[in-house]
Amino acid sequence: MSTTQTTLTPWQWKTATLIVPGLLICSAVSAGPKRQEQHFKVDAHPVITIHNPNGMITVKAWTKAEVMVISTPASDQVDVDAEQMGNRVDISTHAASQDVSSDDMRADYQINVPEDAELQIHDDSGEVNVSNVLGDMNVETIGAGVDLQDTAGYLTIKTVGGSFQCIRCAGQVEVSSISGSFKLVDLRSYHVHAQTSTGNILFDGQFLPNGTYRLKNYSGAIEVRFSPGDSFDLSAMSLRGTVNNQAALTPKAHPQHFYSKFGNSLFGTFNAGRAKVELSSFDGTINILKRD
Amino acid sequence: MASMTCRDFHHELDKWMDGERPANAQSHLKSCVHCGALVADLSAIQSEAETWDSLPSEPPERIWTALRTQLESEGLIEDPHPETPEPRSIGWWNDLFAKFPRPVLAGAYLAALVAFAFAMSGTRGNHVKDVKWLDGSTIVSSPLSAQLDSAEVATVASMRQPNSAVAASLHQNLAIVDNYIALCEKSVREEPENEAARDFLYDAYQQKADLLTQMSERGETGQ
Repeated sequence: MSTTQTTLTPWQWKTATLIVPGLLICSAVSAGPKRQEQHFKVDAHPVITIHNPNGMITVKAWTKAEVMVISTPASDQVDVDAEQMGNRVDISTHAASQDVSSDDMRADYQINVPEDAELQIHDDSGEVNVSNVLGDMNVETIGAGVDLQDTAGYLTIKTVGGSFQCIRCAGQVEVSSISGSFKLVDLRSYHVHAQTSTGNILFDGQFLPNGTYRLKNYSGAIEVRFSPGDSFDLSAMSLRGTVNNQAALTPKAHPQHFYSKFGNSLFGTFNAGRAKVELSSFDGTINILKRD
Repeated sequence: MASMTCRDFHHELDKWMDGERPANAQSHLKSCVHCGALVADLSAIQSEAETWDSLPSEPPERIWTALRTQLESEGLIEDPHPETPEPRSIGWWNDLFAKFPRPVLAGAYLAALVAFAFAMSGTRGNHVKDVKWLDGSTIVSSPLSAQLDSAEVATVASMRQPNSAVAASLHQNLAIVDNYIALCEKSVREEPENEAARDFLYDAYQQKADLLTQMSERGETGQ
């Protein structure tokens, strides 16, 4: 039996030093989380539901009659499902193995939808960003912040600790949280109902005629900004805190509010009183300030 | 014996159904198909009605037993005989709700509890006499608060991953709500006629019920 011993030439060594690291890099990349892109043709007013325990969800409107979902799971142990049922697209993140902890169940999504889409989003932690979607929207999170821009429809937002920001939103806004703060800027909504426990609330939007604006918290600050041309009927009450006001209100002829007996309260009409503004806090500060 | 017409027989129908069977009526019935059919129908209805009379006018005892057991287990009424043995299995009650997930039931139950408290404590925004309000407040909010507390204990125990970031956030916010419930309850005690304080208190209860529902869901799903 004979044995042969091979030795590499210098050229072969050079080739090997180039190819082997390249192969190693390729194998490492292919073993990582897989980015996935899916497209779904939809009709008018499609419904898109997203269930994600953790991660960033970005939804943008576009002019195509289709939904595009680009998902990036955090690891191979996390799977992403996106499927179409009629005019509804359901997107969800779930564990690929039983060893995944809830904190590792993370996936990021970039989703494009028709602008008349209706959205239902559940994202425990991470962040939710939605822009230019005009359909109704329901967003529920635990710690994830919610950031909406140029949206419309009936917006229902519920967080536990996540903050909420709404810029140039129209339609109706109902938002509730326990420790999240709200920032409502350049709103054109005729119905705003915002309630949080320890968070702050900033409202810097239009008071539309016949609109109702009800802001409530337990502590923290409620700040409302108004312009000289605004027209609203105001009631502001802080049970244990203070109310600061820069609006020249016309007092009511007949104090009708039972709350006026308690705490620091303020009732009156600004201009014709077309919108109804109700601000209440348990021990927080309420500021009604002139817009710069 | 004078013969009977159908009209005559109809006039005597009540007596016939009561058991009076004069000979001329019997003779008419033998010869008249229509009246025979009418009597047959009425007899069938009468015999069916007699079976209804034999049914008990009240639900059976087991219904009351099951209801009492459920109300006792929820702390809404007290067991008058605490030394009695364990109640029988309330299978029908469990079967009734078995198809619903527990978080749904818990949420619905807590929401119903808060709604019930609202309803019982008088209309929000109305002037309520102090005495009436105090009575209502004591009767209604005490069991409500106790129910929420016991739901909290059960829910926290059911959470499978208490150390996750989400669970930590839920616990942290639950502590915030509990703190406000305590503050609001203190305000209500100090100013019983203060409806604003009461509104804040019930809102806090509602928040706690919502939060416990969310925690319960995570206990079920393990998320």
